[in-house]
Amino acid sequence: MVDLFERYTDLDDVAQRLAEGDAGERRVAILELADSGDPGAVRLLAAAMADPDAGVRRQAAVALGEFDGLEAASALAIALLDVDSGVAAAAADSAAELKDVDAAAPLLPLVSHERPFVRASALRALRELRNEASLKPALAALADKDPDVRVEAVGTVGYLKDRTSLAALIAAAADAEPRVRRASVGALTFVRDEAVVATVLQRLSDADWSVREAAAEAASFLSEQPAVGAALIAALDDEYWQVRLKATRGLGRLKVRASLRKIASQLDHAEANLRKESATALGEIGDASVVPFLEPALNDPDPDVRKTARWALSRLTE
Amino acid sequence: MPLANTSTSVPVIVDNEKCIADKGCTVCVDVCPLDVLRISEQTGKAYMAYDECWYCMPCAADCPTGAVTVNIPYLLK
Amino acid sequence: MDDILDNQTEVSCDVLVIGGGTAGPMAALKAKLANPKSTVILLEKANVKRSGAISMGMDGLNNAVVPGYATPEQYTKEITIANDGIVDQKPVLKYAQTCYSIIEELDSYGIRFQKTANGDFAVKKVHHIGTYVLPMPNGETVKKALYRQLRRARLLISNRFMATRLLVGDGRIAGAIAVNTRSGELLVVRAKAVVLCMGAAGRLGLPTSGYMFGTYENAANSGDGYAMAYHAGAALANLECFQINPLIKDYNGPACAYVAGPFGAYTANNKGQRFIECDYWSGQMMLEFYNELQSGNGPVFLKLDHLHADTVGEIEDILHRVERPSRSAFHAGRHTDYRRQMIEMHISEIGFCSGHSASGVFVDEYARTTIPGLYAAGDMASVPHNYMLGAFTNGSVAGKDAAEFASGYELAAFDRGDVERERERVLAPTRRDDGIPPNQIEYKTRRLVNDYLQPPKVARKYELAQQRFAEVREDMERTMIARNAHELLRALEASSILDCADMAAHASLYRAESRWGLYHLRTDFPEKNDNDWFCHTLLSKRAGRMTSEKRAIAPYVVPIADDEKKLYDKQRVGARAAV
Repeated sequence: MVDLFERYTDLDDVAQRLAEGDAGERRVAILELADSGDPGAVRLLAAAMADPDAGVRRQAAVALGEFDGLEAASALAIALLDVDSGVAAAAADSAAELKDVDAAAPLLPLVSHERPFVRASALRALRELRNEASLKPALAALADKDPDVRVEAVGTVGYLKDRTSLAALIAAAADAEPRVRRASVGALTFVRDEAVVATVLQRLSDADWSVREAAAEAASFLSEQPAVGAALIAALDDEYWQVRLKATRGLGRLKVRASLRKIASQLDHAEANLRKESATALGEIGDASVVPFLEPALNDPDPDVRKTARWALSRLTE
Repeated sequence: MPLANTSTSVPVIVDNEKCIADKGCTVCVDVCPLDVLRISEQTGKAYMAYDECWYCMPCAADCPTGAVTVNIPYLLK
Repeated sequence: MDDILDNQTEVSCDVLVIGGGTAGPMAALKAKLANPKSTVILLEKANVKRSGAISMGMDGLNNAVVPGYATPEQYTKEITIANDGIVDQKPVLKYAQTCYSIIEELDSYGIRFQKTANGDFAVKKVHHIGTYVLPMPNGETVKKALYRQLRRARLLISNRFMATRLLVGDGRIAGAIAVNTRSGELLVVRAKAVVLCMGAAGRLGLPTSGYMFGTYENAANSGDGYAMAYHAGAALANLECFQINPLIKDYNGPACAYVAGPFGAYTANNKGQRFIECDYWSGQMMLEFYNELQSGNGPVFLKLDHLHADTVGEIEDILHRVERPSRSAFHAGRHTDYRRQMIEMHISEIGFCSGHSASGVFVDEYARTTIPGLYAAGDMASVPHNYMLGAFTNGSVAGKDAAEFASGYELAAFDRGDVERERERVLAPTRRDDGIPPNQIEYKTRRLVNDYLQPPKVARKYELAQQRFAEVREDMERTMIARNAHELLRALEASSILDCADMAAHASLYRAESRWGLYHLRTDFPEKNDNDWFCHTLLSKRAGRMTSEKRAIAPYVVPIADDEKKLYDKQRVGARAAV
């Protein structure tokens, strides 16, 4: 009879194959460790990081992604420094799978490593761990000279939602790199104080459209203040419709009456998504004076626009 | 009625230089949901034995040496 | 290779879970954790590591009921309305109340959901009323993370065993019979409780490409669970409510309304305009899609070319890595690029799948079927519109309840003759020297399904289909030949497929009305008839014959006011097919 059940790994047997086999056999042994589900495998995988064959080390770095905790993190911290870039890349992906808050310890020192790839990878892994000890090094990394590192640093800081990091995040919102500015805008809004509002609104006139889009989205979650409304209304003149769409959504959510005319004028924009969002916003703001503008939208060629117009009109005429 | 063998071009290709099935690796054979890959008794390498592919790609994604390529079957390409 | 060995083994366990895709691993894990001393076996036709609908992961949750975004009551209402009211709400409500804890649990397994810059779940709005979509841009690791949990719990996993029939005795479940797909050896598993998690009947219709395995569902999901439940005497609900999905033309990748929709992509006609009025993924939506395909505005396209190239890149990054990663190779082969042109779409072949519609083995809110000790979860159980999260959640419910059931019983006795008869049925194709190979039996069945069962449903065509199916069945039983264990696997699947085709025809002829948009659109009864058909239909095997009966819908636990129904009706138009 064939094997009835999957076998569970005999670690001693694997250890022997790792010691005596050729490179191909060692890789196969590592594959078995990856599937073992046995925490004892981590020790053998850590040892395999010293294997002379880069393919074996890479396989071990991949396999470590199946395990969590301090011991796995320590082995991955070593693998991140591997001379072979394939090994290091696999280690970075595996480290990003860690969940245990205690796995942070061996990664923290790597945030100040000389190689940008190592710094960025360590920060990427630290984000999900949400370990308070990573706040200080991550804040320092916001000033890193490498933009990839700064992007990851914003991620780590953002997940920690610590009020003391606000000033640094506000500074990062003016970073030279658009990806950093965009991430910072999203990371700020767990607090809605004046400085945050001012920062987000400033990004509505960013040179990069994706930052403006993120800022318009973030602004719609800010409390209603005249400045927010005015800035979002100005964003309706954005050259790019995806930004205008988010601004429209925000104006609807915040019920900014001063935007009614401008939003109504978007009801014949070429882009159906923007027409639909405009109809939604007009319904949300809830001012019956826009009824004459909405009525033609009942015959819009796009059914989503028609549907939204029906919904908005029923709200406005109730 | 007698049976005929009709030929088809199979979507899964294995690079024998990279394949380590002869070292005991069975990853691609194991992960195929339709069980269409086998290890050749002649070459010791993996190959597609049955043209019954969902082109779902675990065989390629999980191969430790990047030896497996999945093409879109000709009939729907 | 794949030589047939004449062997038979028998094992016993407390809980047997059949199917290691999505619901199955969860059921097995929960059953084991509920009672760590018990024996739990997880049986899988392929290999648990990469089997089932989420073999390459999933790009998002379509029905996440996350506090702050949606309530279980609102979700239950929407599912009820989207299913034209034919819903037992208790299982739906229970799912909605439980699923958030499952999301948190999956998150702790290392399954990645999209989060905001502050690390909170980034739930997206796709539907008109509720907000239920939680993207998984790194969702390719789902199976790996799940498998890890099974190995840690040291479950007994049996790969490459295809279950073929259930054993019943003492009026309850007694176990199952399975065949090894590499050797043809038989395995009899006695069990106090059995959980069926065998996925959709996805190899029912034939894809228009003619490639038999290019199905929307994982092609390994050949409806074996539906066939087994039927032959064991369990009731199956609303099988006439087919699954049909919009797909990329010739490719089995879905429309991705849930992935690309939040970014601003949509389904358009040849004028580049939206045409779908319906809000919820339903037969109504599919009818609108079908009508547009047939009309002068067809064909239908997936439209992304109005989005910024960076935005398209972000969408591709998800679509080309998770769930259907061969999508990029397909588009490259056709020289198509979402940035530059709309991508032609078409409609999928038919199937059974409660995950997207409502047809499945009838279950209550504990995932119990009509046979004591037998459970069903995931795409093959009758809880409607369940998707992946429903499979996880209801798999969890089933596993826990099955463990409890098993602790109260000894193994049931059963008729040994059942095993002998099944052995003869299974091995018959291997004992012939000449005959029809399984691929021809299967192809013919599925070609007939396309010719006669594809909606709109015409009664006369359905009757012809039944005659043709009977002829194929006779050929299958008398002359199908399997020359090795692999062909035997396909032969047994062909048998499941034919059973499902018969059930699809029978159930569709029974419900003498139209309902669920395209899923059950009958040309002879084009109207919905709430007076006679506001009920479930249950199909089962009685005294060896296929029978259907009505079953009343359980009183709603979340009442739906008339004006809420109207609000929904106002959103839709034209429930007629262009026939």
